[in-house]
Amino acid sequence: MKQPFLEIENISKTFPGVKALDSVKFDIYPGEVHALVGENGAGKSTLIKILAGVQPPDAGGIIKINGKTTNLKNAMDSIKQGISVIYQDFSLFTNLTVAENIGINEVLEKKQKVLKWKQIYKKAENALKFIGADFDPHEIVENLSVARQQMVAIASAVAQDAKMIIMDEPTSALSKGEVEHLYEIIDTLKAKDVAIMFVSHKMDELFRVADRFTVFRDGQYVNTVDKNKITESELVSMMVGRKIQIKQYANLERKGNVVLRVENLSKKGNYKDISFEVREGEVVGITGLVGAGRSEVMQSIFGILKADSGKVYINEKQVFIRSPEDALLNGIAYIPESRQTQGLVLEKTIASNITLPVLSRFCNKFGIIDRKRQRENVDQWVEMLDVRPNDPDMLALQLSGGNQQKVVLAKWISTQAKILIVDEPTNGVDIGAKDEIHKILRKLASEGTAVIVISSELPEILSVSDRILVMRRGRISGEFENDNVTQEMIMNKAIV
Amino acid sequence: MKILKDIRSKYPNEFVLFGIFVFLFVVMSILSPDKFLSITNLQTMLFQMPEFGLMALAMMIAVLTGGMNLSIITGSTLATIIAGFFMRTEFVQNNPALGTLLAVLMTIFIACMTGVLNGAIVAYIGVAPMLVTLGTKTLFEGLGLQFTKGSSVSGFPELFNKIGSGTLFGIPYTLIILIIFTVLSYFLFERSKWGMEVYMIGCNETATRFSGVNTKATLLKVYIYSGLMYGIAGILIASRYCSAKTDYGSSYLMQALTAVVLGGTSIAGGSGTVAGTILAVMIIQTVSTGFNIYGINRNIVNIITGVILIVVLAIRYLTQVVIDRKKIRERVSQSRKTA
Amino acid sequence: MQKIIEKITKKKELGVFLMIIILSALITMVNSSFLTLDNIFDFLRSNATIGIMAFGMLPVLISGGIDLSCSSVISLCAVVAGYMMAGNSGMNPVLVVCLIMLLGGFMGLINGVIITKLKIPPIVTTLGTQTIILAGVLLYTNGMWISGLPQWFIDFGKFQLGSIESAGKLTGLSTQAILMFAAAFVTWLMLKYTLVGRGIYAIGGNRRSAMRIGYNVDRIEIFIYVYAGLMTGLAAIANISIVGQVDPNTYLNYEMDVISVVVLGGASVMGGVGNVFGTVLGVILMAVIKNGLVLARVPTYWQKVVMGLIILITISADVINRKREQAKLVRVDVEE
Repeated sequence: MKQPFLEIENISKTFPGVKALDSVKFDIYPGEVHALVGENGAGKSTLIKILAGVQPPDAGGIIKINGKTTNLKNAMDSIKQGISVIYQDFSLFTNLTVAENIGINEVLEKKQKVLKWKQIYKKAENALKFIGADFDPHEIVENLSVARQQMVAIASAVAQDAKMIIMDEPTSALSKGEVEHLYEIIDTLKAKDVAIMFVSHKMDELFRVADRFTVFRDGQYVNTVDKNKITESELVSMMVGRKIQIKQYANLERKGNVVLRVENLSKKGNYKDISFEVREGEVVGITGLVGAGRSEVMQSIFGILKADSGKVYINEKQVFIRSPEDALLNGIAYIPESRQTQGLVLEKTIASNITLPVLSRFCNKFGIIDRKRQRENVDQWVEMLDVRPNDPDMLALQLSGGNQQKVVLAKWISTQAKILIVDEPTNGVDIGAKDEIHKILRKLASEGTAVIVISSELPEILSVSDRILVMRRGRISGEFENDNVTQEMIMNKAIV
Repeated sequence: MKILKDIRSKYPNEFVLFGIFVFLFVVMSILSPDKFLSITNLQTMLFQMPEFGLMALAMMIAVLTGGMNLSIITGSTLATIIAGFFMRTEFVQNNPALGTLLAVLMTIFIACMTGVLNGAIVAYIGVAPMLVTLGTKTLFEGLGLQFTKGSSVSGFPELFNKIGSGTLFGIPYTLIILIIFTVLSYFLFERSKWGMEVYMIGCNETATRFSGVNTKATLLKVYIYSGLMYGIAGILIASRYCSAKTDYGSSYLMQALTAVVLGGTSIAGGSGTVAGTILAVMIIQTVSTGFNIYGINRNIVNIITGVILIVVLAIRYLTQVVIDRKKIRERVSQSRKTA
Repeated sequence: MQKIIEKITKKKELGVFLMIIILSALITMVNSSFLTLDNIFDFLRSNATIGIMAFGMLPVLISGGIDLSCSSVISLCAVVAGYMMAGNSGMNPVLVVCLIMLLGGFMGLINGVIITKLKIPPIVTTLGTQTIILAGVLLYTNGMWISGLPQWFIDFGKFQLGSIESAGKLTGLSTQAILMFAAAFVTWLMLKYTLVGRGIYAIGGNRRSAMRIGYNVDRIEIFIYVYAGLMTGLAAIANISIVGQVDPNTYLNYEMDVISVVVLGGASVMGGVGNVFGTVLGVILMAVIKNGLVLARVPTYWQKVVMGLIILITISADVINRKREQAKLVRVDVEE
């Protein structure tokens, strides 16, 4: 029996308010691909940060590398132990050359004060050759496609003589052919006895690359199993936990008028020939892989991204929306995926956030706000959506994810939008609040709002929508009435 | 007493600033009661503070958005120089009342136009405000120098010069002007729709734009309002000197920024009060007038303003660090107890 | 061959280079003395001060920072050098240069420590130190000129390497030009071949990643401001050696010229981009414009207006270009 390269035991990590990891374990052998699987909030990224030396774990855990107990106090410690991480955002210097991105780590590790460019280029060329990449190391990273940027990140890990490479959702931005190429690279690395920790939640690729799976759920260790001893559906139920009875809200009766109609909307490098319509009182779910262009389409409808061609109609009248302000005036609301940076002004109160789009309602003729009326309005929304704590003077950053999302919802519902677009509405929201948010969306629909829900979580899509659109590589690849649709049917349309 | 406590808990920053002001004022008075408390000195203070206060408000609104306006001085002198040339025309000499009114409006208009230039580049092109205003600072200065060939413009109608020296029931006009614009600024910044949007932009521009706010228009208005404030400040300065010149009031740039920061406005944008800024202006004015009486060199005042700026920001950062550390310690011990 | 051409046209510096050629050709047409060796050497001499300071400012801008205090630091250094040398004939020239550079470096250290340890944004920090230092200098000197620099220093300033006859005069490479070239060379070596230099690019490109892979970001940032200070000290020596006197007031607004030169030379004010070659071109272009305005008899005050416009246009163009590139970014690999 070989010795594992890395063994961790009893690792916990506490953040204010949350226990992100609760005494988990994990091990990995040289030449093995061990997948770490789990839903959002399972604790995957926290473990990555601990192994990368970026965040220290709580006291009491054990990390063993090659059988020896070690501490990973900082990034350099991890690099020296042979652990390197390919982050989801690649963490590259896009202003510098490919060669420097690949070669600088070694210089830093050895603390060479003076650079020998010849060596760096040679190192980079070797690393690129090793993973079968054939582009110029002199190129500036900025000019490379996303797939090539990822190859630079991999080459950089390889060049560090990494004994273990952590790949965090590596395929989220890759096309089918590029994913295949990534698999080949992983096979080459395996053959060289490199251990690969593969972090993902996509079933098809997990079964393609991984030898073993370890499942985390809500920060806790669930199980570790061999690939051959488990089926996809067993893995899924392990990830999700006890079969949660997903509430079905679909309502297939449709009487309302078409509120939003999109015709042949196209934007180069984003999406192409998008046509669909949404009716009054209908919830349309839009799903597909990350990077399929779902958010981009919606952002164009909301006036953030400018489309190249195509038409948008509201109530059968063509509209030209060039900014969120136009969208607001046309009764369109968009709740972005990134709540913290785009959805909310975190440093301000619940009250100021909720009333931001509708301030003019409380103004007298000099543009001065009537604070009493503003406050009454806010109180009403806080109560209606059951925001907790129900203090409108609380800063948005003091709220939990679910309550923050309710504030964003309140902000847009108060505009009385006819069309509500929500992008990954329950990202980072705990299970209890998830259902509450679904209920709110359904309630709005029953009151006549046209709702569009973008989500990567199929159970959510199946639970909340009346009709489902699937996107793949910038196009709409399938449409289903939510009537006996299965996850497999949707996935078949989402993957090439 | 209870009212005092209420104010203190509701406006802690302003309370402290007011305390500092009173303290400094008393110290200055005790050290030199015959000079500092003399009517002439107090009047000089009241005549000078308004222009400084308006400059500080011009700076403050830009800082609230997370930006800065380095062109407030040269923008105001450019406006007064052009208006100054207008005031030397025969038309104005013959019609002093109408001419003065037109000159005032002209100064305000030109200052607002300099604001439009700043605002347009900041809002619609998206260049960092500090760099834009660094460039326009040179541009306005160059234009001013070109028009005056480096010297000053004078020979204004008596009525115009009265603005800076006249009084109403013993109260300088300038002070009345400052009070009016302080109140106006309070309502616009802290009570109006536009003001709310300015604060939100200062915290998070993207989220504000994504909430359907026309952030570009809001930002443009910020620099126009800044222009309005430094335009009026320019009128007061030109009227006090009875002339206009590119480097009049140049020390106000640093002092205005210092007053804004000292007054509690976050340099990153998004928070700050008009009252805080005005209190800080009063403090700095007391110090610099006090120093003036003792014949202390202007440069020392400049040094002190610079030091205050850095020290106030440093103290604010360090206290934040201490508070954060304390919070973390509490949380760790709490989670230990539960475990 | 085609590859080389492609590489050249891709370079950001090409535009600046072409602009220099075109402007030079135009000015030569108006005034044939422009392209004489004598004028060129004179040109190098009179622009050395801004040039040397620009090589100090370049790393600051690459890292995404800014240093507004350099105009006050050069004034301080010039004044201190003046007092040190005035009426003192027996000083070691090398020692003087070193001490003054160290003084500049110390001022940079203060900036760097405030920026990194107290987390005050560079623009605010250096605006503050700019005011404090200049006020200190004016307080001490009362704004008076310092004259009576020793003969050896005057000679040092008049030294010419080589003597070539041009336009009826013997001319050669001046001390100041040599100092500028030395500064350019050292900066080039530092940025290209040292770990610190690469760290500067890394910080400007992606600060978080720079920390992730193990650069000591605080220490590098302090170094950047110290380096800017050292260069400013050297620029002070170069400047007073031309004039032979010290005028503490003369350096007002120098920071604007320096920043514009570096930005003209292709450094982005958002950090991450810029190199010595570009800055050299920026210095030349700015000098050509100024020289051209003089030769075209444009009144001096208009020059400031032109400067302001140049800054606004270059900075805006930089941002517009970046936005355009961002808009072209492929987010989704669309199925055709």
